[in-house]
Amino acid sequence: MPNLSMKADDKMKLAAKISDFVDAEEGYIDRRIFWDDAIYLLELERIFARCWIFVAHDSQLPEVGDFITTTIGEDAVIVSRGEDGKIHTFLNSCSHRGNRVCFAEVGKTRRFTCNFHGWSYGLDGSLKSVSLPKSYDGRSNFDKAQLGLHQARVESYKGMHFACFDPDAPTLEEYLGDFRWYLDVILDNDEGGIEFIDGNIKSRLKCNWKFPAENFVGDSYHAPWTHSSALIAMFGKSPNIRPERSYHANANGHGWEGGLDFIGNAATLKSPQILEYLREQEAKFAERLGKARSRMVASLSSANVFPNLSYLAGHNTFRTWNPKGPKETELHTWVFLNANAPEELKEEYRRGVMLTFSPAGVFEMDDGENFENCTAVNAGVVTRRQKLHAGMGLDSGIEHEELKGNVYQSQINEANQRAFYQRWADLMSAETWADVPAR
Amino acid sequence: MNQEEQIEAREHRAVSVELIIEIQQFLYREARLLDGEHLHEWLELLADDIHYWVPGVQARYRKDDARFSPTRMAFFDDDLEYLKIRVARAKQPSAWAEDPPTRHFHLVSNIEVEATDNPTEWTVHSLILNNRHRTEDDEMELKARRVDLIRRNEDGCLKLARRKVTLLETVLQAKNINTFL
Repeated sequence: MPNLSMKADDKMKLAAKISDFVDAEEGYIDRRIFWDDAIYLLELERIFARCWIFVAHDSQLPEVGDFITTTIGEDAVIVSRGEDGKIHTFLNSCSHRGNRVCFAEVGKTRRFTCNFHGWSYGLDGSLKSVSLPKSYDGRSNFDKAQLGLHQARVESYKGMHFACFDPDAPTLEEYLGDFRWYLDVILDNDEGGIEFIDGNIKSRLKCNWKFPAENFVGDSYHAPWTHSSALIAMFGKSPNIRPERSYHANANGHGWEGGLDFIGNAATLKSPQILEYLREQEAKFAERLGKARSRMVASLSSANVFPNLSYLAGHNTFRTWNPKGPKETELHTWVFLNANAPEELKEEYRRGVMLTFSPAGVFEMDDGENFENCTAVNAGVVTRRQKLHAGMGLDSGIEHEELKGNVYQSQINEANQRAFYQRWADLMSAETWADVPAR
Repeated sequence: MNQEEQIEAREHRAVSVELIIEIQQFLYREARLLDGEHLHEWLELLADDIHYWVPGVQARYRKDDARFSPTRMAFFDDDLEYLKIRVARAKQPSAWAEDPPTRHFHLVSNIEVEATDNPTEWTVHSLILNNRHRTEDDEMELKARRVDLIRRNEDGCLKLARRKVTLLETVLQAKNINTFL
């Protein structure tokens, strides 16, 4: 683990150099951003403690007292449904000596109580009681109202709850910007919205968190090659990617890449019931979303909400890439489906995602190997000096009458990866949110 | 249950030493096939109605009895068709990540055989330790508790009919599970 402190002037010097590491115009990336401890520390401050980070879907916490624990950057947090019915997110660290106050990853409770001295917090993170309270009587600065657990802002977009530790950050809606139009393909193709299936598969990859995030934001290019073994095992061939009917699109560093082929991703789930459901619903999707977006509901595609929330339409999986140092990432994976979908589809999606995009899945298995090796090779000093090329599709930008945001022709492209790194550099260079340009 | 009934029940449940050794040998042979990536031969050890389950493990409080659920996300929740897809993928020449191959061993221990109500099926408990090496220094260890249902077929062969593998970790300490446990 790197030392998590950094002198202010060192930070300023590093921040001033960040633009040297990302050349989004020509598509060159300095490998330093994948191994350097100082850059990682700045990421924790300027990316993870500053951005809106996905913490839970509404369906995971249906009742008062339901909670999960997770992390925002390396900050451990509790996400809970309070007595006010709202979702709260606060540090999982006692105000007294800093111990964790919740050790379970999921459950239901009335209080989060520290094992150390019995300080006990409510579902909204406020301090409710301590052991031996009379010990604090008299001339003391003990004020329960001031000693609650440190709160994050929580805002939601169509059932997806995000938390943010920066009081100066824009609203979630502003932060998502035009990308909401793409998120709606998943979150709002049916009036019932989505729900998450119970459970959360977690795994550790020895890779920098940006490799998987950029993979989901734009890398269709790897699919026919990396995943050749799974595609041949399942279908006998690789998918037919059509440049003229596929796109990269991004807004504020969030990105979707995909085709308008409707069911390309869903087809790998090996479930005739899922395909039947999608085909039955296609007209309804088009009514809600328009023709183009209705063709994205389960198409050959991937996406990432900056910085670390990735998803696959059609496979119906959301996942987050949680940093654990510059060379380690904890992956959290969920399966979702339309809340109004027939009950039996739950099993189809649950097992289908497991077969394809879980740590033992026939697709995902090969990805981790790539991300880890891309990270590990940077041990070499000469290797570190070599910049990475991300220059595909430099002149592929188009105007599209329906698609929102910055749009590029063909999903075999690196426009979204460049936009991801541009947003990364914007945030890393900026002292406050006021200095972060809209993209 | 009085003492006599207990003795009778135990005798009814008694398992012969020969059978225990036969089942141990079955599990050791299975482990050796997995070590050597003889996955098609491994599939032949499975009953047609195999259920191979590696549930996700969650850290929940003791008072919370929902530690496992069959409808929760899992690493494996497979029938024979799914297992065959996984084997087919691993055996493709374009499984780049499997070349050079992973160097494995599957260590099986604490084997305990219990009779069931069905005279041709036994519940078998065991521990499994899978040690994997890849590249120069990539080492991963999977540790788990297994409960199997092993069945004797009409032709006399033993087959694996059910397996539940409970990993010790709630966060898989590895990028993937490119083997069976």
